[in-house]
Amino acid sequence: MAKGLSFGQYVHKDSLIHSLDCRLKIIYTVILSILVFAIKDISKILLFTICIFIIIILTKIDFKSYIKNLRAFYSLFVFILLMYLIFSRNNLNQGLIAIWRFWILITISTILTFSTTISSLIIGIDKLSRPLKVFGFKPRNIALLISMAIRFVPVMFIKMERTKEAMLSRLANFRRLKSIKSLIFVLLEKMLKSASNLSDALQSRLYNENVESQKVLKLKLYDYLSLAIVIFLVIVIY
Amino acid sequence: MIQVKNLWFKYENDFILKNVNLEIKENNFIAIIGANGSGKTTLAKHFNSLLTPTKGNIIIDGLNTKKNEVNARKKVGFVFQNFEDQIIHSIVEEDIAFGLENLGLSDNQASKIVRETLDKLRINHIAKSNVNMLSMGQKQLVALAGVLAMKPKYIVFDEPTTNLDVRNKSNILNVIKDLNKNEEITAILITNVLDDLMYAENAVVMKNGQIIFDDVKSKLNKKILKKAGLNG
Repeated sequence: MAKGLSFGQYVHKDSLIHSLDCRLKIIYTVILSILVFAIKDISKILLFTICIFIIIILTKIDFKSYIKNLRAFYSLFVFILLMYLIFSRNNLNQGLIAIWRFWILITISTILTFSTTISSLIIGIDKLSRPLKVFGFKPRNIALLISMAIRFVPVMFIKMERTKEAMLSRLANFRRLKSIKSLIFVLLEKMLKSASNLSDALQSRLYNENVESQKVLKLKLYDYLSLAIVIFLVIVIY
Repeated sequence: MIQVKNLWFKYENDFILKNVNLEIKENNFIAIIGANGSGKTTLAKHFNSLLTPTKGNIIIDGLNTKKNEVNARKKVGFVFQNFEDQIIHSIVEEDIAFGLENLGLSDNQASKIVRETLDKLRINHIAKSNVNMLSMGQKQLVALAGVLAMKPKYIVFDEPTTNLDVRNKSNILNVIKDLNKNEEITAILITNVLDDLMYAENAVVMKNGQIIFDDVKSKLNKKILKKAGLNG
């Protein structure tokens, strides 16, 4: 099984976080993502991290799944650290804090995708972005793009692994630029083929960017409670 | 009825289909067989209005695909050869509901049809599963469910057995046979495997963009198969 298979995939659990209103979850993700880079004080970042851990526990999803999801970003963490090591060795602690912030950012978005089904995400984005329709913005297109990214990123990981294995079996050397170039071109070709098939499938299943979701969303008591908690958290931390 | 009238289709500088004439009657199970590159998938894509004829017409129950693209498409479902690419959402029941949303159905109506479709294909147990975690056979049933939920009168199955093992191959062909018999869905099976013919009533053999045989499968002989480049 490919390493990236769990990337951003919905995990079905009967949890409080899962049952929150999808619009609120999207709004919280945006607010908390901004907040993580806005806070300067380490003690506040620590408090923020504790809150994130509490949310993780509330999702009832195995912590290992979150760790597994981070694998794809290890290279980014190493890159940030290397940059600090090479160019700003004196501020290495800032590099570590930057990685910490990125970890929180990724975890916030992971909580959203792990606890929200794609259709809920689409409905949420659709409802939230309706005011933008006056500017010619098509919410369903954006929602579908996000949905397809979540669906096809793991598929691309699998395709990459398979292509890599096929090339390795024929003695490709990935230390050489030529082999990496071949891998990229083969992958691009496969992605374009998949995109063409997908385009046919969308047409075949009558995709219409103007269709609006018929689902009626109503905020429940715990949605209001969550809103109060998030506002309180923002005030305390910021 | 699907009527193909003097169909020509040009891609770049070559004609892939050359004066194809065909009638597919309702409730039939027809197999369109031919070697690779014979034009069978190109022909099938015309049924779903994914391709527009260069010359000639495709009429689906009186609707010309050139003028009534969407309405004609509603009548013909299409299960693609690369069915993995056909599944748009990660969760099975959400993907099945995708086409229903496009048809403008309410959430309740869509949920009801999704449940019925899952029952019909006996895949209720994977309703909440992540598509990426399913076997190839299950993925193909999910792709079929997405099409079936839209209640088309005709379904095209483009080489459905290509990526499957022996058990899943006979399973999907039996499912198609059941849908044809019990749900009165006209099944159009595109294949290059002779064994698949045993499930169909009628056969159409294609070679170089032309139909060289169109009749009940019992009349098919080795000479025709050999001419089509298939091992008879």
